[in-house]
Amino acid sequence: MSEMTVNASRGARARELVAAGIGRRYRAERRFRIGGLVAIISALLFMVLLFVSIFGKGYTAFVQTEVRLPIHFDVAVIDPQGLRDAAEMRGANYGKVYRDGIQSLFPDVASRQDHRLLNGLVSSGATFEIRDNVVKSPDLIGKKQEVWVPASDDVDMLIKGHVDRTLPEGERRMTDKEIAWVDALIADHRIEPRLNWRLFTQGDSREPELAGIWGAVMGSFLTMLVTLLLSFPLGVATAVYLEEFAPRNRWTDIIEVNINNLTAIPSIVFGLLGLAVFLQFFGLPRSAPVVGGLVLTLMTLPIIIIAARVSLKSVPPSIREAALGLGASKMQMVTNDVLPLAMPGILTGTIIGMGRALSETAPLLMIGMVAFIVDIPGGFTDPATVLPVQIYIWADSAERALVERTSAAIIALLTFLIIMNAAAVVLRGKFERRW
Amino acid sequence: MRDTRLSLSDIRSLEGDVAPMTAKIQALQTNVHYGDKHALKDVTLDIREGEVTSFIGPSGCGKSTFLRCFNRMNDTIDGCRVSGTVMMDGEDIYDPKIDVVQLRVCGGMVFQKPNPFPKSIYDNVAYGPRIHGLAANKDELDEMVLTSLEKAGLLAEVKDRMESPGTGLSGGQQQRLCIARAIAVSPEAILMDEPCLALDPIATAKIEELIDELHENFTIVIVTHSMQQAARVSQRTAFFHLGELIEVGDTEQIFTNPRHKLTQGYITGRFG
Repeated sequence: MSEMTVNASRGARARELVAAGIGRRYRAERRFRIGGLVAIISALLFMVLLFVSIFGKGYTAFVQTEVRLPIHFDVAVIDPQGLRDAAEMRGANYGKVYRDGIQSLFPDVASRQDHRLLNGLVSSGATFEIRDNVVKSPDLIGKKQEVWVPASDDVDMLIKGHVDRTLPEGERRMTDKEIAWVDALIADHRIEPRLNWRLFTQGDSREPELAGIWGAVMGSFLTMLVTLLLSFPLGVATAVYLEEFAPRNRWTDIIEVNINNLTAIPSIVFGLLGLAVFLQFFGLPRSAPVVGGLVLTLMTLPIIIIAARVSLKSVPPSIREAALGLGASKMQMVTNDVLPLAMPGILTGTIIGMGRALSETAPLLMIGMVAFIVDIPGGFTDPATVLPVQIYIWADSAERALVERTSAAIIALLTFLIIMNAAAVVLRGKFERRW
Repeated sequence: MRDTRLSLSDIRSLEGDVAPMTAKIQALQTNVHYGDKHALKDVTLDIREGEVTSFIGPSGCGKSTFLRCFNRMNDTIDGCRVSGTVMMDGEDIYDPKIDVVQLRVCGGMVFQKPNPFPKSIYDNVAYGPRIHGLAANKDELDEMVLTSLEKAGLLAEVKDRMESPGTGLSGGQQQRLCIARAIAVSPEAILMDEPCLALDPIATAKIEELIDELHENFTIVIVTHSMQQAARVSQRTAFFHLGELIEVGDTEQIFTNPRHKLTQGYITGRFG
């Protein structure tokens, strides 16, 4: 009887304690939830801020101010002998052709100095564009035609509103005279912002209005291809060996510690290693995507190995027993059963590693991929640069017109990353098998 | 104890009133160590051809370990050492010249938890024939898959959905799928490690029925925790305790007239 009352009073006390503490427990849960929500919302806000700022700065780079000039494809200048010889036509003085074009619009400009200013309204790239037109269709020779040519970066900035007309003449990039000419051209409907196709087809240039990201995109693509082709098979094979075949002993422990360490080494150190080993010892070409790919492989390998080992570990042992119990060899077990099940995780790790490699800058500076390269790289040994390095070069330049192009390059890089990560999600969904 | 049994069988074969039973698997003085742990101590036992032999005993008594010696599944465990002799059809299977892959084709294994591959039902059964290259063409493979499923008593239930995943079946069906998968390579022995552990009584009854049918064509060794199951399905029973083989004999004799006190204690439920 007395024992029962003791039990009853203990029970009452326990219920009291639970009741007293329950409010605190729920409050703790609520606090945690609110904290999580705040964290996610602020992260989203920062992301929106980043995108708004980059797109806000970058969208103007997708249009380029162009000037419509009346061009006289003068036989006397282009092909005086009438041979229609391509080499001959290439060598002609097209600078005179476009300069004549713009000067014909302002016949009352007389002095030599003013002529030079006037010519400066049009990008020097007009020379090459007119030349390419003529070489492509020699029928133009002798004719007169209106041709759109890129305006200089200063005119472009004026049209895009980056030149403050209210400032005194000496403090802005353009003189009153130049602004007056531009206004006259606008009034004559000879100046127009048009789609900036050069941004997507050209390499870098000294003239911001001609500079494009295609060279850097191709450089990035070739570098990534080398990285993927080397690091994926090597990384997966290493992980499979360590996980399925290697004995567990002190040596494999040491190897594991070292692989984990490699992920934390600053990328510039990999760049120095690449410089010493690939360039100086093996004598591979400087600034080449193949060397960039090799250096980035060194950086990506540990990420892929670790991800692959984790996903191999997560394959249930019963699958291995089933395969071995049916007389599969170890290799058959790995290729038929274990690897397919581990593939989603391996792919995710690979894409994370590749994403990091794509946005890597520092090690590539060390192997010369920071060079100024105009030509589009066509192969693995051509000099090239990559998107993040192009962003670095442009962000470091003084020209106002490169600010928007820097943002455009960042947009291109982000697009690449989004495509890669979306591909990761799709691939994961495709390979995922449930049981 | 070993000596008595050997002499008994000698007498039987001399008398000729019992059909001579050939031993499919013979274990002589088999020891297994996991690192420092002595898991199996000096076990000597014959598994007779065409019979169901069941291993019973409390948890951790070494019966599963012993079963895994028969197709060298212990090789896959780090730090596991097997000594002594295990013979299958008179050949020492721990001889370095023996190929493990071939050995495992002779002795198919069925595990505690049904472990079908996350593939279609068809691919699960076709797995063995495929990796060993047993079928010359698609028709032959189809035939192998169908007969294996038939023998495992699963064909009627799955013939309309051969391409659906094997993992979508119920637990009992999955285990029968695993049995079908094991017999698809035409093994001589089937080693079952507590095949009904994760199954409900109805599914268990089906598996037991299946074992009864299969023992005409296969030598079956089954490890079980259920003494009723051992009594129902097996012709011979071996009782293990703390890594030692305590007693082996005809199932009826073990359950009605055990010689050893430990066996009696276990089967009457006094411990274990």
